[in-house]
Amino acid sequence: MRSSDSPSLEGIAQLCLQAGHILLESGANARTVSTSIDSLARGLGCSSVEIYCQHSAIIVMLQRGAEAFTHMGKVGEHGVNLRGGEVVLKVVDKIAHGTIRYDEAQAEIKAATDALHKYPLWLVCLATGLACGAFGRLLGLDWQSFIPVCLGAAAGQWLRVTMLRRSVNFYLVVTTVSFTAALIAGGGGRLLGGSNLEIATIAATLLLIPGPAMLNCQIDALDGKPNLAVARAFRVIQIILFLTLGLVAAQRLIGT
Amino acid sequence: MTMDAIFSHILHQAFFGGIAAAGFGILFNCPRRMIILCFAAGALALTMRTVCTDVVDLSLPEASFLAALVVAIVDRAWWQHGHAFQGSVLAVVGCIPLVPGSLAARGVEELFAITREGTSKGLASASTILEILALTAITLASIGTALAIPMLISPPRGKKS
Repeated sequence: MRSSDSPSLEGIAQLCLQAGHILLESGANARTVSTSIDSLARGLGCSSVEIYCQHSAIIVMLQRGAEAFTHMGKVGEHGVNLRGGEVVLKVVDKIAHGTIRYDEAQAEIKAATDALHKYPLWLVCLATGLACGAFGRLLGLDWQSFIPVCLGAAAGQWLRVTMLRRSVNFYLVVTTVSFTAALIAGGGGRLLGGSNLEIATIAATLLLIPGPAMLNCQIDALDGKPNLAVARAFRVIQIILFLTLGLVAAQRLIGT
Repeated sequence: MTMDAIFSHILHQAFFGGIAAAGFGILFNCPRRMIILCFAAGALALTMRTVCTDVVDLSLPEASFLAALVVAIVDRAWWQHGHAFQGSVLAVVGCIPLVPGSLAARGVEELFAITREGTSKGLASASTILEILALTAITLASIGTALAIPMLISPPRGKKS
């Protein structure tokens, strides 16, 4: 029997799913999602919590005394947004320590995700360009091709954000961005007299490699979540295939 | 290679590993206060990997495993002491420069090359592809395993998997 001011199981389940899908879409692994939902539900008075975390859906089964409730929620496109994940984890921590109530948690998650701080696009493009240039140096890129790689990757990031905002198909975005970034990096490298154009074209497309998904894939497999791990691995393979399609097209055009 | 050359190579790799990690930290919308730590984590990871490959002469998967393990342990200890809220962020971003993305792309590139070269060079290409993809898969598995080890040995307080 629940007291009159305690939230309904349906409300708790919805809050759990909201937190879970934000975490999964922000690049968290299955362990983080499961432990967070568990802490959230137990912090709100549930005696038993079962979580089934999949690539495109999360199912929670909650129990409180004689009451039980099962709810499923869809998960959108997986990406990486560490600040988004942090916001949710902070709310989960507060609930687990009993410092906020259900309605406050709900409002906090909504407010924080609605007004989530993001870096300005120019800074993200600059950082991505520098990161890919640095990757190129790690792979043995010469200095003549360094700036073209930075420019290619920065242009690729701008194109990726622009196309995703217009809801273009994700894999089409991957191929287009890969082609554009490799073309700018390779073409620029050739103009400036760079000697390793193949490395230049590859380095400029590394912004598309889903590194966190690759690592989460292995972590989830070790954690006993093979279904999620396989789904992640399949997606990673698809992304690399589409990336290489654009890369090879640009390389053939440049003649590397 | 002389000691000076090895030392300058390690410094070079550490610096650009740090830049790559910090850049990806911004791309992944990492909190501003953690960007310097991302740089440090990336630099630590690349220093470890370069020392393991250049000085100790380990293979890429072995070196990547040790590098990721050191970053994950440092990150776990940092988190355990309450300095960072979402500790695993640092380990993941720090290990991004270790991910053999270029190797994976090269493997698939070779796969496309088979279709151009036909069956005459097909067998040689197939063995190269197998070698590259196996190296990529084992390196990735090594990094993922190393990242998970500290969490599996010492899970966060008050939470269950």
